[in-house]
Amino acid sequence: MVPEGVVALLEILLFPGFLFLIALAFFYEWVDRKLLAKLQNRYGPLYTGPSGLLQPFADFIKLLSKEDITPKAADKFMFSCAPLFLLSFPLLALFLVPVAGLKALISFEGDLIFLMFLFTLIAVTVFIAGWSSVSRFSTVGGVRAAFQMLGYEIPMTLVMVGPAIAARTLSISQIVGWQTHNAAWFIWFQPIGFAIFVLCLLAELEFIPFDIPEAATEIVAGWSTEYSGRKLALIRLGKDVELVLAASLITSLFLGGPNSSLPILAIGFFLLKTTLAVVLLTTLRALFARFRIDQMIAGAWKYVIPLAILQMVLIQLGFGR
Amino acid sequence: MTEETTEENEIVRKMKHLIGKNVLESEVPRPRRIFILVNEKAFGKAIRYLTKKMGFTHVSTITGVDVGKEIEVIYHLNRGGKIELSLKVRVTKDKPVLPTITDLIPGATLYEREVHDLLGVSFEGHPDLSPVILPEGWPPDVYPLRKEWTLKKVQKRIMKGGKQ
Amino acid sequence: MSYPTIRIPFGPQHPFHIEPEYFMFEVDGERVVSVTPRIGYVHRGIEKAIEDRTFIQNLYLIERICGICSNAHTTCYTQAIEEILGVEIPPRARFIRTIIAELERIHNHYLWLGLAAHEIGFETLFMYTWRDREIVMDLLEMVSGNRVHYAMNTIGGVRRDITPEIVEKIRKGLDALEERMRYYKKIAMTEPTISKRTAGIGILKPKDAIALCAVGPTLRASGIKRDVRADDPYIAYDEIPFNVITYDGCDVISRLFVRCDEVFESVNIIRYAMDRLPEGKIRIKVPRRVPEGEAVSRVEAPRGELIHYAKTNGTTKPERYKVRSPTLGNIPSLCKMLVGGYIADIPIIIAGIDPCFSCTDRMAFVNVNNNKQWILSGEELRRYAIKWYQKE
Repeated sequence: MVPEGVVALLEILLFPGFLFLIALAFFYEWVDRKLLAKLQNRYGPLYTGPSGLLQPFADFIKLLSKEDITPKAADKFMFSCAPLFLLSFPLLALFLVPVAGLKALISFEGDLIFLMFLFTLIAVTVFIAGWSSVSRFSTVGGVRAAFQMLGYEIPMTLVMVGPAIAARTLSISQIVGWQTHNAAWFIWFQPIGFAIFVLCLLAELEFIPFDIPEAATEIVAGWSTEYSGRKLALIRLGKDVELVLAASLITSLFLGGPNSSLPILAIGFFLLKTTLAVVLLTTLRALFARFRIDQMIAGAWKYVIPLAILQMVLIQLGFGR
Repeated sequence: MTEETTEENEIVRKMKHLIGKNVLESEVPRPRRIFILVNEKAFGKAIRYLTKKMGFTHVSTITGVDVGKEIEVIYHLNRGGKIELSLKVRVTKDKPVLPTITDLIPGATLYEREVHDLLGVSFEGHPDLSPVILPEGWPPDVYPLRKEWTLKKVQKRIMKGGKQ
Repeated sequence: MSYPTIRIPFGPQHPFHIEPEYFMFEVDGERVVSVTPRIGYVHRGIEKAIEDRTFIQNLYLIERICGICSNAHTTCYTQAIEEILGVEIPPRARFIRTIIAELERIHNHYLWLGLAAHEIGFETLFMYTWRDREIVMDLLEMVSGNRVHYAMNTIGGVRRDITPEIVEKIRKGLDALEERMRYYKKIAMTEPTISKRTAGIGILKPKDAIALCAVGPTLRASGIKRDVRADDPYIAYDEIPFNVITYDGCDVISRLFVRCDEVFESVNIIRYAMDRLPEGKIRIKVPRRVPEGEAVSRVEAPRGELIHYAKTNGTTKPERYKVRSPTLGNIPSLCKMLVGGYIADIPIIIAGIDPCFSCTDRMAFVNVNNNKQWILSGEELRRYAIKWYQKE
């Protein structure tokens, strides 16, 4: 038998750890780009690998080899740290989500709270990244990111708690376990919660219509304007991992998760459902124009938060489980 | 010729009535086109009359033409999108100063700045006559559209190290 | 109590500008407090260059003032010269000029719609309109042989004829274009994110529009019915019935609707002109030497009133030639619209006037880099380069 320590190490490094997650991140970036291109009547990535499958990876390698410029006026320490955080936080968060089987790599009672905390940290890091670059576009982008967080953070937290209340646990693995055990998905019980969650994830991922912090036509590249080379590569990879995180959270909280304790079946279900989630996010992204920051926040506070609270009330009244 | 032509002639007649001999030349080459050359002294009165009383509220553009010792400034005024009246006035190159029309038509700001840039006519009372088309550091006495500044001469001037 | 304001530069290079142009915005939070435009970055000295070339050579130079409204510029130029020459072009040429002018307008408005969608972050609409723009570009290529600089106009007429087969193909293309534009207009009317970003944005009251001398669709979206084609008919517009589109919303979405409806009008104008295309020659011979004279020529370019002033001195070269493109006329109104708006609305408001900065910066003559003071043109640059390397 292989010693347990080696298995644990392999799990963290290879599957379902770093290697698998990063490969998945590149794959979903490809899915996102290709599908968006198809929806917009373009071709999308075409040449690297079959149907451009390797294009995200090629872009990553290319960016790694590019010149890395740090602005003179920037806060160098924070400026260099931010990309690392932006990659490591979503990766860490993904370890809390079950991928193969019903149990995540790290799982403890209350890991849902920890995950929410990580989500907030990502938004704060984005703000710090923008602020520490000093450039005016970055500053405005960073401030917008922080503003946007005010809009989506609260409804997102509220609707993430929905499944937790219904399953009477604060552990993501156990929420998945509850859904598998009862053969019921929360999307059927909490459709409002699901819709709000997807909406907030669009904002978290800075996808259209909420790509306000990086609105190209207004503030160049927003908070990431000053980043280049390796740091930009890390930021982009971080964004991709965040997409995986978003898709797997949709899967775990609302679509029943891997749904099987058999690893092969579980991973199959997981891939299928997360791909569906990515397709959903991408399709939504192709449908809208960009909101303005004030419209976004007003909308969030006027409509989304009351709806999220309504969902909570419905759960309490017994409709959500 | 047509009804419209008489309308144009009517405008010319009114102008002549207003400032008399100060209308140096006038011409109606075709319907909806009027050219009037006025004396520099009467220019202020003429343009005020045209914009306030005659309804020429739109200035299409302002052209500057180098005509030897003088610079001819042409105000292309328009009434209701139809009649295009070109009001000309000449100023000497030694002291090319005209009253601004931005108080009458605010939309003329950029046109006046443009003429100031390229021909060196300054407009008294204009809020800001900084360069709008020429780059910063352009030699202040070089007015590209004056005939004495040929391409060669300007190139030579700027190549000389660009000292201002 | 006053808060410090941030100054945000827009340009000269900015992803939203296709051409270099500079706006300095003073913002308080997300609100714009003041705007200072600075034009002249693509200043190519065309007006001076025109004085140095013959009338035929100028045809090509003037075509290149602008890429999108190249035909409007040459129409205006040929008209001015023909007026001084005192020649009347054949009716068939007038109709062909009209057809090309309207095709160009359709092209421009499709292009604009895509850009506007891009500015408000609606990438999908951008991709769709630009795909459909290909239809009209193909039509223009079929007629003129070129996609951008059509080179159809010449002094005394047009250079190429429109054959019955081409007419058939244009008809088919027009059907598709009309149907697509109907679809886009429906989207613009029903899609809430579009109206959220464009309705009530960039207000230009009719009073201000007149005072600041706005032109074209910008003016017509403020409810003022002014169109050179109707008011001061040129080429064949006096024989073709059409409506001048106005909306009185005074905001960006009204400008959008004006342009959508103008596409329908253009389609009808082209159909009408093709039905009644007169027989005959397409051009007449004109002398190379133009007598002394002057002319003011006006054209409704897709972006608004375009005015050229020509003064000739009896030689083969013009004495003075002045061009005022629509964008320059709209910049004062643009500054008015921007003040008080949000940063996020800057791109769509600027795009709302359909700016073309290459048109705007056409005068003077050498392009000078203002820091190092060296000339970017021809021989001088070469000499400079040689000198530079000798120093090394």
